[in-house]
Amino acid sequence: MNPLAQPIIYTTMITGTLITTLSSHWFLAWVGLEMNMLAFIPILMKKTNPRSTEAAIKYFLMQSTASMVLMMAIISNNLLSGCWTTTSYINQPPSLMMMTALAMKLGMAPFHFWVPEVTQGTPLTSGLLLLTWQKLAPISIMYQIHPSINIHILLTLSTLSTAMGSWGGLNQTQLRKILGYSSITHMGWMMMTLVYNPMTTIFYLTIYIILTTTMFLTLNLSSSTTTLMLSRTWNKSTHLAPLMAPILMSLGGLPPLTGFLPKWIIIQELTMNNSFLIPSIMTIMTLLNLYFYMRLIYTTSLTLFPTSNNTKMTWQLENTKPMPLIPPLIITSTLLLPISPLLLTFH
Amino acid sequence: MIMHTPIMMTTLISLTLPIFATLTNPCKKRSYPDYVKTTVMYAFITSLPSTTLFILSNQETTIWSWHWMTTQTLDLTLSFKLDYFSMMFIPIALFVTWSIMEFSLWYMNSDPNINQFFKYLLIFLTAMLTLVTANNLFQFFIGWEGVGIMSFLLISWWHARTDANTAAIQAILYNRIGDIGLILAMTWFLLHYNSWDLQQMLALNSNSSSLPLVGLLLAAAGKSAQFGLHPWLPSAMEGPTPVSALLHSSTMVIAGVFLLIRFHPLMETNTTIQNLTLCLGATTTLFTAICALTQNDIKKIVAFSTSSQLGLMMVTIGINQPYLAFLHICTHAFFKAMLFMCSGSIIHNLNNEQDIRKMGGLLKTMPLTSTSMIIGNLALTGMPFLTGFYSKDLIIEATNTSYTNAWALFITLIATSLTSAYSTRTILLTLTGPPRFPALTYINENNPALLNPIKRLTMGSMITGFLITSNIPPTSPPLPMMPFYLKLSALCATALGFLTALDLTLMTNKLKMKNPSQVFKFSNMLGYFPTTIHRTIPYQSLLMSQNLALLLLDSTWLEKSMPKTISQAHITTSMTVTTQKGMIKLYSLSFLIPLTLALFLMM
Repeated sequence: MNPLAQPIIYTTMITGTLITTLSSHWFLAWVGLEMNMLAFIPILMKKTNPRSTEAAIKYFLMQSTASMVLMMAIISNNLLSGCWTTTSYINQPPSLMMMTALAMKLGMAPFHFWVPEVTQGTPLTSGLLLLTWQKLAPISIMYQIHPSINIHILLTLSTLSTAMGSWGGLNQTQLRKILGYSSITHMGWMMMTLVYNPMTTIFYLTIYIILTTTMFLTLNLSSSTTTLMLSRTWNKSTHLAPLMAPILMSLGGLPPLTGFLPKWIIIQELTMNNSFLIPSIMTIMTLLNLYFYMRLIYTTSLTLFPTSNNTKMTWQLENTKPMPLIPPLIITSTLLLPISPLLLTFH
Repeated sequence: MIMHTPIMMTTLISLTLPIFATLTNPCKKRSYPDYVKTTVMYAFITSLPSTTLFILSNQETTIWSWHWMTTQTLDLTLSFKLDYFSMMFIPIALFVTWSIMEFSLWYMNSDPNINQFFKYLLIFLTAMLTLVTANNLFQFFIGWEGVGIMSFLLISWWHARTDANTAAIQAILYNRIGDIGLILAMTWFLLHYNSWDLQQMLALNSNSSSLPLVGLLLAAAGKSAQFGLHPWLPSAMEGPTPVSALLHSSTMVIAGVFLLIRFHPLMETNTTIQNLTLCLGATTTLFTAICALTQNDIKKIVAFSTSSQLGLMMVTIGINQPYLAFLHICTHAFFKAMLFMCSGSIIHNLNNEQDIRKMGGLLKTMPLTSTSMIIGNLALTGMPFLTGFYSKDLIIEATNTSYTNAWALFITLIATSLTSAYSTRTILLTLTGPPRFPALTYINENNPALLNPIKRLTMGSMITGFLITSNIPPTSPPLPMMPFYLKLSALCATALGFLTALDLTLMTNKLKMKNPSQVFKFSNMLGYFPTTIHRTIPYQSLLMSQNLALLLLDSTWLEKSMPKTISQAHITTSMTVTTQKGMIKLYSLSFLIPLTLALFLMM
């Protein structure tokens, strides 16, 4: 990308999100979302191959449809209640439309079809931004409208997201698609307790962002996008190969790693509200998630794929790729469970 | 003092002497078989005055019992009941056995194990007499099992022959099914009457349950080869002819009928059981008579004839005439044993040929055998004033005048005519016509060991009926008056069968044989009963066990029901979810439809 255009684009993206999170007027919230989306499109097309173009177009179409429905919901809410503030109660039909639009923006099932394809079509860093930064604005809006959300629709969306994310990820070897499906699953988990205790949603979002960032940056280090390329991590950066294991296990939600903490909170929140079947189903479906992470661990850390005798030992050469923050991120994403009371007081 | 009891007990005990003689090591001056035969002859002679004394002293029963052991609630005794049935049966059984043993001296002459053969016959006889004189069901069961085991050992006498082995196993299996019934009855009696003594059981007839009687009927069906449990009897012809003569015509197969006769006071009051017995007997007699019509093995024809007569005895019990059934047992023993012995004589003389299609022209070459055979067959069919007439005609008269199942009685009449039909066929094919055996066969019946028994039994076949019926006490109310045509019905049916068979055989024996018809095949293949049942039942059991053990447990419960199903479900779902077409139109549609659906549902 043109170095002159880069700061403008990134700034616009950040500003859009900020506008959405900080506004109390519905129009401005919508404006922020649009700014964010429009600025993000060139980021998706960082590499100019047809697949990136296709991914960008798909992203644009899906997001703009969602924004339009959101606009319609805002206007009909004004028609019905005469309110423009985001913090007041929203009537049911507009609330329903808002929720479906925002779910589409987030990539929850049954509107999840664009997530794996768009993630696959873009470079790893754009994918990182897609799955982490782009979630912030819609979730902030959902946080604000959480009293008026219809619980049935939300639970349906969440359970369906978990299921679709888990089943979808089983059949993949491309890492970006795997991470896309994992994002869908995590979205499902996040939205479970939005109605009961939205703080848990934000908490889950925080941990999720940390985990996904770690994952993407690690992959970026060895620039591996398929499982096969991932299996060569032992050659590229030997110290990173065994570290993939705890990162992925944390992403899958295994105790005693960090990734277990938000899931624990969510299950606790749900059982405090007397719902037992739904957390059980979700936990069991997420096991499939864990399974395909384990498959990645298997190829990376547990086995050594055969190579020929004169393979270059790439790790001996100096690495010129920038590795921002990977060590602290790894530590945060695996060892945060013992200080969970401190974390929970922040929320 | 009336001495019949000690004399009879002497008879019974003296029979066991030769058995114990084999346990020591005697120096045999004479041959052992001869010794056994002589023992049986003396036993017969000693039993005769005993029986005569019993009948003339007009006694009811004598019971001789020793206390054997006591369990907590049950006293087991060795008790010998010498009443009308056992006293009549013992001399007859001994007479027939004596004749058969003398016949075996000739028939099994070249057999190296002839001593063992005679010992087996003697053990069988002891078991049979134990059965007949038993006063409690325990002793009865000992005799019952004893005759079963000896039957097994004797049928498989030529044990190197696979057919003999399968026939012996078949006999054991079918008898075992009958034993289930007997044990059921014994258990029921033990539980409800707390005793196995015949006196107690017959006196306490308070419970109107049919269960023990059904058990007894099953036992009789197993032992006496009634329909459903009948295939073992023709297969048992694999044994030597003396075995067939003794066991499977005169003594062992009537044990079932004898059991029902012993329990007749209990059966008198239960009409269901009587009905069952009647129908079972009628079915047996007709079915086996049909099968006998097209058999080609002379021993099998006589075996089916035995089976048919056993069915007739069942019919008699079914119309509540146990004494007539017993009379038929006694008279039947004579002519049936003799028929077997004549068959044995023919078989040995024709160099072990058993197929009647390869016999013929024996009237002139074996005069005594053929005469006895004709007399025996006439007695079997109920020729007036021969032995069979006294029992068989009385039975037919009783059936014609009894107020029961008309169908059963009708088919008994049909079976009577079929009896004379197959007897005629046998006589015509074996004895008359040109000889169909090889020309240089050495036929000779000069051995007194062969001839004397046949002569004895022929005399028996002719006069025993008269002797017995004129000397026994009156045992059942005399039969009521009946119309003339009913009185003649047995004779007419017999004559009809005889004439039809004679006519058909003489008309058709020069014709070329066509392909057999369906009815012929039904009769020749024994009603397809063995071919279907003997394969089907084991196959179904084995298939079920294989399915239960392998398919149900290992394959289904442990593998397919949970692990494989779950994994398959997930794999299929995953493949369904991840096959996307990538068309934006579909994605928009996936947005539109849930949105509209939700809006409509929530409003």
